[in-house]
Amino acid sequence: MRVSVTVNDRVYERDVVEHRSLLDFLRDDLGLTGTKEGCGAGECGACTVFLNGQTVNSCMVLAVEADGGSVETIEGEARDGQLSELQSAFVRHHAVQCGYCTGGMIMSIRELLRNNPKPSVAEIKDGIEGNFCRCTGYQQIIEAVLDASGQLTAATKGELKHV
Amino acid sequence: MTQIFKYRAPVARAELLGLLADHEAVRVMAGGTDLLVDIRNGFRHPEMVVNLKHVEGYADISWIPFEGLVIGAAVTINDILRSARVRESYPLLVACARDLASYQIRNRATVVGNVVNASPCSDMAPALLCLGARAVIASRRGERVVPFSEFFQGVKRTVLESDEVLERIIVPSETADVRGGYRKLKRIKGHDLGIVGVAVVKKDGLLRLGISSCAPTPVLVDGLSESDSAETVVAAARDAVAPISDLRCSGEYRAYMVEVFTRRLLQEVP
Repeated sequence: MRVSVTVNDRVYERDVVEHRSLLDFLRDDLGLTGTKEGCGAGECGACTVFLNGQTVNSCMVLAVEADGGSVETIEGEARDGQLSELQSAFVRHHAVQCGYCTGGMIMSIRELLRNNPKPSVAEIKDGIEGNFCRCTGYQQIIEAVLDASGQLTAATKGELKHV
Repeated sequence: MTQIFKYRAPVARAELLGLLADHEAVRVMAGGTDLLVDIRNGFRHPEMVVNLKHVEGYADISWIPFEGLVIGAAVTINDILRSARVRESYPLLVACARDLASYQIRNRATVVGNVVNASPCSDMAPALLCLGARAVIASRRGERVVPFSEFFQGVKRTVLESDEVLERIIVPSETADVRGGYRKLKRIKGHDLGIVGVAVVKKDGLLRLGISSCAPTPVLVDGLSESDSAETVVAAARDAVAPISDLRCSGEYRAYMVEVFTRRLLQEVP
């Protein structure tokens, strides 16, 4: 089936077999390998992208379902070679270890911050409940989100030690 | 996906019903969060997947006066959570929806898909059973209405025939604003399958329980009264379930937690 999908503001037209996942389409057909496959079953969130403005697990969406729609991936986060504020905060707080979860993690946090620009620690935890980090970096990720949303003070940083 | 299948995304209801009537081995896809994983894992082998998300009217949440809340087949769990009117009138549905999987999955998964999948641990079933909800089922042969107390037939089995689609769920207006509560046991605070789920509804002296993950199907415990002692209600709950042991916990623990949650809900719900 011929599909036309806008990915990170660029239109791609491709032939795609009906049973191909959106994840495989992004990675193998478009070469956008920032989106990762972890579990392939909606557990880990490494494949999280935006489809028509909502975060989805791209391993559980068919590529043909994105026909005529728009997709945002981690590759669209930096603009003109400049990391976004959220990405910079991830770097500053060492919120990346192996990096496999990071793309999906940033997508879920982007969604959270769109709906809630100043989330509490509890709200951040809820926002990333569908994204697993197996290097156990949640504390640094939470710090990075607080920083990126302008909420990190010396006081909150102290409190975060036992998050 | 490793399996090959054809794909259709009809807009017209007649086309959807025609595809179901005319083809063998066809599976309807709503959110796809169960179906696509099942296909990937080799549990299902459809020759055709029919996406119902674009069928006219299926994505609507609507209200029929004196009848109730109508949830279309393509309404997602997050649609329910974002509806101010559902939050106001059916907080029990919201309580069940909020605990279903993760945010990304709730953007995709549907209420109808959650019951059609007929997992014993369906998150929406306890509330729908307690609230007296009905399934409106359509095929080219016509339409029929089945209460959820008769809908589930076994593990992953329902009354749906192969040419039928669950078009919408009606939650009756009589159960709007009832007093209710829900408890779900999970291994972790975040995204996890339920180990035990118990919902309770109290209305006009009557009391109902909906229990998930403790029998081959979600279970409705009906015919109780608000004036019954806690012991009577707990005994009825225990008698209604037949929990098994699996990798997530033992049957004994499930039975114990049904009692704990039932007791706790009886105290919590005024």
